[in-house]
Formats: sequence, structure tokens, C-alpha cells
Amino acid sequence: MPQPLDFATLQPVIVLSVWTCVLLLLDVFLIKRKSITAVLTAFGLALTLGLTFMQVGASNDGFSGMVVQDGFSTFINALQLVGGLLGVAVAHAYIKRTGSERGEYYTLLLFSVIGMMLMAQSNDLIMVFIALELLSIPLYVLAAFTRNTESEEAGIKYFLLGAFSTGFVVYGIALVYGATASTNLHEIVAFASSSSPSLLLTIGAALILVGFAFKVAVVPFHMWTPDVYQGAPTAVTAFMSSGAKVAGFAALLRVFSVAFPNISMDMAPVLAAISALTMIVGNIVAVSQTNIKRMLAYSSIAHAGYILMAFVPYGDAQVSADAIASGLFYLVAYMLTNFGAWAVVIALETKSGSGLELSDYSGLAKKYPAIAAAMTIFMLSLIGFPPTLGMVGKFYLFRAALQGGYTTLALIGVITSLVSAFYYLRVIVNMYMREGDPTPARDLWLDLTWSITAIATVVVSLAPQFLFVLASTAVMLK
Amino acid sequence: MEFLLQPLTLMTFFPLVGVLVILFMNPEQKSAIRWTALVTSLITFVISLWVFSKFESSNPDLQLDAKYAWIQVAGWNIYYYLAVDGLSILLVLLTTFLTPISILSTWTAVEDRVKDFMIFFLLLEVGMSGVFLAQDLFLFYIFWEFTLVPMYFLIGIWGGPRRLYAAVKFFLYTMAGSILMLLAILWLGIKTASFNMPEMLARLPDLYASGAIDPRTQMLLFIAFAAAFAIKVPMWPLHSWLPDAHVEAPTAGSIILAGVLLKMGTYGFLRFNLSLFPQAAVDAAPTIALLATIGIIYGAAVSYAQTDVKKLVAYSSVSHLGFVMLGLFALNPEGIAGALLQMINHGISTGALFLLVGMIYEQTHTREIKVYGGLWKITPLYGIIMLIVALSSMGLPGLNGFVGEFTILLGAFGSKAIGSPWYAGISALGVIMAAVYILYMFQKMFLGPQGEIIEDAKKHGHPIRDLNWREIITVLPLLIFIFWIGLYPAPFFNIMAPAIDKIIALLPL
Amino acid sequence: MLEYVAIALMIVVSTFVALSAIGMGELLGPKKKSKAKDVPYESGMLPYGEGTRRIPVRFYLIAVLFILFDIEVIFFLPWAVVFRQLRIFGLIEMAVFIGILLVGYAYAWKKGALEWE
Repeated sequence: MPQPLDFATLQPVIVLSVWTCVLLLLDVFLIKRKSITAVLTAFGLALTLGLTFMQVGASNDGFSGMVVQDGFSTFINALQLVGGLLGVAVAHAYIKRTGSERGEYYTLLLFSVIGMMLMAQSNDLIMVFIALELLSIPLYVLAAFTRNTESEEAGIKYFLLGAFSTGFVVYGIALVYGATASTNLHEIVAFASSSSPSLLLTIGAALILVGFAFKVAVVPFHMWTPDVYQGAPTAVTAFMSSGAKVAGFAALLRVFSVAFPNISMDMAPVLAAISALTMIVGNIVAVSQTNIKRMLAYSSIAHAGYILMAFVPYGDAQVSADAIASGLFYLVAYMLTNFGAWAVVIALETKSGSGLELSDYSGLAKKYPAIAAAMTIFMLSLIGFPPTLGMVGKFYLFRAALQGGYTTLALIGVITSLVSAFYYLRVIVNMYMREGDPTPARDLWLDLTWSITAIATVVVSLAPQFLFVLASTAVMLK
Repeated sequence: MEFLLQPLTLMTFFPLVGVLVILFMNPEQKSAIRWTALVTSLITFVISLWVFSKFESSNPDLQLDAKYAWIQVAGWNIYYYLAVDGLSILLVLLTTFLTPISILSTWTAVEDRVKDFMIFFLLLEVGMSGVFLAQDLFLFYIFWEFTLVPMYFLIGIWGGPRRLYAAVKFFLYTMAGSILMLLAILWLGIKTASFNMPEMLARLPDLYASGAIDPRTQMLLFIAFAAAFAIKVPMWPLHSWLPDAHVEAPTAGSIILAGVLLKMGTYGFLRFNLSLFPQAAVDAAPTIALLATIGIIYGAAVSYAQTDVKKLVAYSSVSHLGFVMLGLFALNPEGIAGALLQMINHGISTGALFLLVGMIYEQTHTREIKVYGGLWKITPLYGIIMLIVALSSMGLPGLNGFVGEFTILLGAFGSKAIGSPWYAGISALGVIMAAVYILYMFQKMFLGPQGEIIEDAKKHGHPIRDLNWREIITVLPLLIFIFWIGLYPAPFFNIMAPAIDKIIALLPL
Repeated sequence: MLEYVAIALMIVVSTFVALSAIGMGELLGPKKKSKAKDVPYESGMLPYGEGTRRIPVRFYLIAVLFILFDIEVIFFLPWAVVFRQLRIFGLIEMAVFIGILLVGYAYAWKKGALEWE
């Protein structure tokens, strides 16, 4: 019999779910102008964000240990809700422009956000699985939302690969259950610590890792990413390249740090290798891209590698807290910067879907200095250049890697950053140093998105203290 | 308010006021924008003089501290920490001094996107001052990397025909060095649990003594820092970005690049490599002296072969900065003092050379030496000033270059760290070679029969004219210093001496 | 471990039997090909058109709706079995469950998914 406390742990998720169901019906029965749906979606997200902030400091588990609410989940949930708000803001003008304005966009987005939040709160592998499905299925639909060939191809590809990766997760969960007779994270670790090392457990954990590796798109499980990111409506790409990645990492962090610290000796080299490979492949392949969506897709792969770096020393009790905090910090930096960059891409995309080549950015700075300056900030942040959040984030990440003794990994990280500078600079070169005549679409929501994220990217990097505090208190996994 | 009124903070960030004002100006009001930028940089210069008046030259320690806790969580121990001492005060003054001169030099040269140009230029000034003042490695790294961004735009937007290539090369080259330094900074930060220089300097000796950081690691850290600085200097064989950047950069960019940005590299060696890794510095001294010597001879030889006058000056920088490096790693008071003075000298002389080359380029739009000739008759004033600057650059006694190079060679001859007088002996050849290429350039351009460009210019209705008042005002302050340092360098040496002695005391010689 | 052997044996034997039944027919049976024998229907009807026919997309929609609503109802069965233990909580939970289903149902209805034309 659940107690009121159980509901308290999930309060924001429950409120948002109810709101989403109501909105779904309101949208089909009452609302004619879809802008109203957008506003109501944003309102629901903001309300939930407020409720999430009220949870700060609390720490409970609920529903017989199926879910947990702690600093970590609150941090991730707040981040996901901000991502949801940004996702609504960039979508509003975009789906109107591309003639695919339907209210379902917003409800699907909300369902996905609910899945992402649950993901961070799951304390049981079964919950992880349900949350994973809840966040993924709306994204499959969203990827195919504009219903042109590319978009549908992206949707199908994402769906097939998504289903495939979910299979890995489920199989991994089954093996872990076979090895430990439980799906609860705490019971798994309790069992694993009291018994002899089990190969079955390691294989199960590895399969779960593979499943999530697909979700967060790290090499060699990244092949779907460029096609899906390129084909999906740009607003959806912006949302899923941030939200799904954050959710995937959140689940990985929780599952591995709570349930699998015993097998960290086996896992750390694998994680280190994947991280290094991802940074190298993502950045090097991005160099040869001429389409901005594809380039940013590879860039997001590369960034998954950086974030994964924070995660490598997860079993080392001395540095794991710091490392995870650095990962969280970087997720925030990545989320803000990435959304900003995609907002600019959306502004430049034309109605017919052109305006996505790098050469289409030529001459932007002359006519629209503000957008160009914002894009410059995002590119510098993605390189990891001061004065941006990306630089502080990388500083933190590399320190964590060095503390964990992974000097080579940190070295690969900085060298691939250098490679990445090459292709990010190309955007800046086009905007400032070549002639051209682009006409970005102006929309209040979109303008606000890129201007606020740009300002935040710079200002937070100069006063990052509060974010450091948040990130380092958020790692107290219950 | 108290934070902003700290003299160093105020000086560093004052150009931002100008940036803000310009940001809200109409891009068409070019002359108003120019005046705003100039006035801002002049006020910054005045503030730097105020800083200088507060500076006690007898005090070897860091002064005028502006220190505030910045990031103090999660094991980070980062301060916002600006301070100045005898090693940096002159370089700071050089920065604030050269900036208005550079802005004046663009008065008619830059007509396109003046607003953006001035914004980037003032941002660059913030970055440069910050580099020389930051005493916290995190802050230092931010300023260090930040200077790249505006310079990249200056080259890439207002540069010559191959500007895109030059800009990207400049950016990637410099970044390649600094990322290694980033790792070393982080590593030091972890080991010493601090990022600010005084704390690090207090803790490092124990770590070295106890073997917590073994000599090999110390050498690796030294190399990581040196990678960033050596590329910036640039030391042979890492110099290949410099000619491209210089040739393509607009005049003002070249002045600042040669005058200040390169000094950031040598300053970095002096401030960080020598004091943080004293043992490694002593061990590396012969190698660096060798590279410096090669750089001196190589730079001078290649200069002679140039047909493009800007490239000639660019390669001469490689040679001159070789002297600076040689002096620094002589690791004795004469060598370092000479090197520090030579940094200032090079900033003034080479800055002036680029300025003068820019003035003629603005009229003729060519830098080919062979099309000039006989300019002396048409533009006598320009010729005289060019001669003075050229002589200063090649180290004629009585002018500033001589004092610096002579002191450096004096230091290098007697250096225990380098261990052999041969480096100094061979380097002295560089002085002679400098005379050859500089005089060759002067002769080809100013003497002899009239070059074709003079006729061409007449034909097109723009005969080559002598310097106008603005140009004279621009170059005059530099001439004053050329003579001042050349004739009476003692005040300059006095300012730096205590701080240099303090650095020397750290070295295990 | 031993108790699993029986299962393994079972799998092996059943696979063998199934395969051999198909295989033996293929191997031992007489094969005489003729034109009349190769047609899909040996009744004398001549087939025309494509072998595969397109099915209207509506059927898929119905199939999906069937899965959604009909299969969900299967959850009522285990719920009914333990209803007495769950008491009032079970009732509320089922109300929530049905509520969510109803939201979907109302949505599908309004969207016209239930209409044939």
C-alpha cells in the first residue's frame, strides 16, 4: 500500500503526466490555435520545474524502492524540464514554417520529457526499461513528424535501431536478474558484494551498457545518429540530441554507480576505450561534413565521448563523486550550447528545408550580427574555448580524468578538441569572413532561445560557482 | 564597486566600456566609432600610467593585488587574482601604449566594418592585459586562450588575400600548444590543490623535494607549458604560422601581434616555466639555447631571402625572439634583464616597422620590395623615420635594440646554465646578419633608381605622398622610446631588477 | 544442472522430429513437375494479378487499436485475482489505469480513428 511519501517522490512526474493527458484532450477537443497548446505545454513544464525545485534537499525512495528521488534526480529533472522548455520554444516557429503544425507535437514532447524524468529517478531495472520506452517511442514519432521522405526515413531508422538497442537492455536486465535474483539496484549491489564475482553479471552489465551506448550514440554504436539527426525535423533533432542524451547518461550513471561498482575493474577499460574511440571518430568524421545538421550530429557524438570520460572512474570511490559532478556539469554546458546552436540552425533553415549547408552561413555576420555572435559563442563553447561554459566544463572533465589516473584519455580529449576546432571554426569563417546573403527567420521564441542560451553560456562560465555547487551536491546517489 | 575600482581590474576591463558604447553605435558612423575606440584606449593608457605610479619598483613581489575567491567548491581553489610585478609592469605598459597607436594606424586603412574591427581590437586589449596580470593559472588560461579569438577575427576579416588560411592556421597552431598547457595546469592544480601562483610556488618545492613530483614529471610539465609558449614566441621550428599570420594580418593586427602577442610567449616562459619548474628549466637551458640560436640564424637568413617586405619583418621577428629566448635561458640576471628589455624593444621597433610598412602599403597596395626604389627623394620624412627604426631593429648602438641584444649576449656568454659561450658567439652573427637584411631592404626601397610603383602611382592619379600629421603622431611616441631606451636604459633595468633577482633565487644553479 | 538436461533433450528431440518430418518428405517423396501442377490452385481457376495484394491501411489502424485496447484489458485478469488483497488501493489503481486508457480512447475517437470511411 503506497504512502503519501511515495507520491511525493514522484510528484513532478505525476503532475506533468496528468497535465499532459489533459492537454492531449484539450488540444483535440477545444484548442484551435496551436500556439495556445504551445503556451500550455510551456506552462506545464514551468510548473513542473517549480515543483522540482521544491524537492531540492529532499531524498527518498518510493513505491517499494522502484523509484528514488535525490539530488541527482532533481538535478537531471530540472535540466530535462529546461530542455523541454527550450524544445517547445524552438519547435513553435519551426513546425509552423514547415507546415506540420499539429498539437500532438507538444504532447509527444511532454511524454518524452516524462520518460526522461522517470529515467533519472528509476531505482530498478524494470523502471529503467519502462522509462526508456516512454522517452523513446514519442521520439520515434517526432522524428517522422514532418512526413516527408527524409523525416520518415529518420523515424523508421530511429525506431528500428531504438528497438534493437532496447533489446540489448532487456537482455542485459534478464542476465543481471539471473545473476543476482533481483532487479532492484540496491539489492543487485548487495548481492554482488556478498557473493563471488559472476561472469553473468558482467555480461549483463555489458549488454545494458551496449543498449545505452546506442541511446547516447557513442562509437561504435553511433551509426544511426547522423542519418536520424539529419533527417528528423530540426526542432526534434535539437530536442533529442540534448534530452535523450542526458537521459541516457543519467540512467547509465545511476545504474552503474549504484548497482555495478563491484565490476568497475572490468568496465573501466571498456568505458575508457569507448570514450576515446567516440571522441576520435566523432571529431574526425565531423571534419569532412558540409551539412550543418550532419556536422552537429557528429559533434554530438564526439561530445558523448567527452561526457563518457567523466564516467570512466565511476568505481574509484575517491574520485567518482568529482567525476560524476563533472559529467553533470558538462551535461548542462552541452545542453545549453547545443540547443542554442540548433536554434540558430532552425532560424536559417528555409521553408523548403534548404539553408542547411555550411555555405549558407556565409555573410551572416554582416546583416545579422547578433545571430552570428550567438553562433560564434556556441561554436567556441563546443570547442571548449573561453569565455564559455564549454571551456569550464572541459576543464572540469579533464581534471576528473587526470584525478582518476586516465592521463592518456585526457590527452586524447584535448587533442580531439583541437581537431574539433577545425570544423567549428569553419562555421565562424563562413559567417564572418565570406560574402553571402542569408535571411534567417525571426520569431520571438526562437530569438529568445538563442539569445538566452548564448548569454547563459558566457555569463555562467564567468560565475560558475553555483553550477559547481549544484553539480557536486547532486551526486549524492541514494 | 570596490571590485571594479581596483587599479588592475579597472585597467584590464576598461576597454569593455568602449566595447559597450560601440556596440550601440550605428555602424555607418565610422569616425565616431574610431574616436570612441581611440579615446577608450587612451584612457586605458592613462589608467595604466596610474597603475605605474602606484607601482613600487624596489619591491620584488607581486603588487596591487586584486584577489577575490572565484570558484571555491568541489576541490577547486580558483581565485580571480590580478597582480603586477617587475616582470610584467613594462609589458602591461607596452600593451596599453601600443593599442592606441595601432588604432590610430587603422584610421584610414580600415574602412570596412569599422565597428566590428574596433570591438575586436578592444577585446584583444582586455585579453592581453589579462595575460600579463593574471596570477591564477585558471584565469591566466582563460585570458591566454581568449586573446586568440579577436586576433583570429582581425586576421580573418580584415586580412590579405590568403587571410582565411592564415587565420585558421594561427588559431589551430596556438591552440595546439595551449591544450597541452591546459593538461599541465590541471595536473599541477590537482597536486598542489591550488591554481594561484604564490600558493603553488610555496607548495611546489616540498613536492619536488619529497619526490611527489619526480624530475621526469617536472620535465614533462615544463615541456607542456613550453609547448604553448614556444609556439606563441615562436621558437624555431614551431614558427611557421608566424609569417602567414603577419603577412595576411592588417597593419594594426601585425603591430599588436609582433608587439604584444609574441611577448605573451616569452613572458610565459619567464613567469611560469622558470619559477614553477626550476630544475627542469636549468636542465632544458642548453637545448633551448640551441633552438634559440638556430632560430636567430635561421630567421635572419630567411629574412634576407624575402621579396615581401612584411614577410621580411616577420622572419626578423623569429630572429629577434631567438635572442629573447637565449637571454631568458641564460638564467642569470643580465640575460633575463636583457631579454625582458628586448621584449619591449622588439615590441617598439618591430611594431614601428610594421606601422611604417603599413603606411606605404596603404598607398601602393603592394609589399614587393623590388617595385619600390628611390623613395628617399619623394618621401624624405618617411625615409628618415624608417632609417631610424631600421637601425634600431638591427641593433645600432645608441638605439634601443643594441642595449637589449648586447645585454643578452653578455648574459649568454657568462651563463652557467647554457654551459658554452658558443651559442652566444654564433648568435652574435645574427646581429651582423640583421644589419645585412635590414640595410638590404632599406637600400632597395629608398635608395637607387626610382621604382616602377612610383610611376604607376602617379599614372593612377595618386602620387606617393609623405607622411601626414596623423601618421607622424602615430609613429612619434615609438621614436621617443627608441631613443630613450637606447640612450638611458637604466630606469627600465631598475624596474625589473628586483623581480628578476627573485626568480633567479628560485633556480638551482 | 541435471534437471535442465531433460529440457535440453526435449528441445533437441523436438527439433529433430520437426526437421525430419519436413526433410523426409522433401528427400523421399516423388517429384513430378508439370505446368498444371505448378499453378497456385490446381482447381482449374487461373490466377491473375500480383501474388501479393495491398491491404487498406485502415486494417493496420484497427490492428493497432485492437492491440492497444483489447490487450490492455488482459491486465484486468491478474488484477481480479489479487483484488481482495489489494482492496481499495487496487480499485484506485485500476481507476487510474482505465482513466489513462480512456484518454487514449477519447483521443482516438475524436481523431476519427474509429470511423471506417
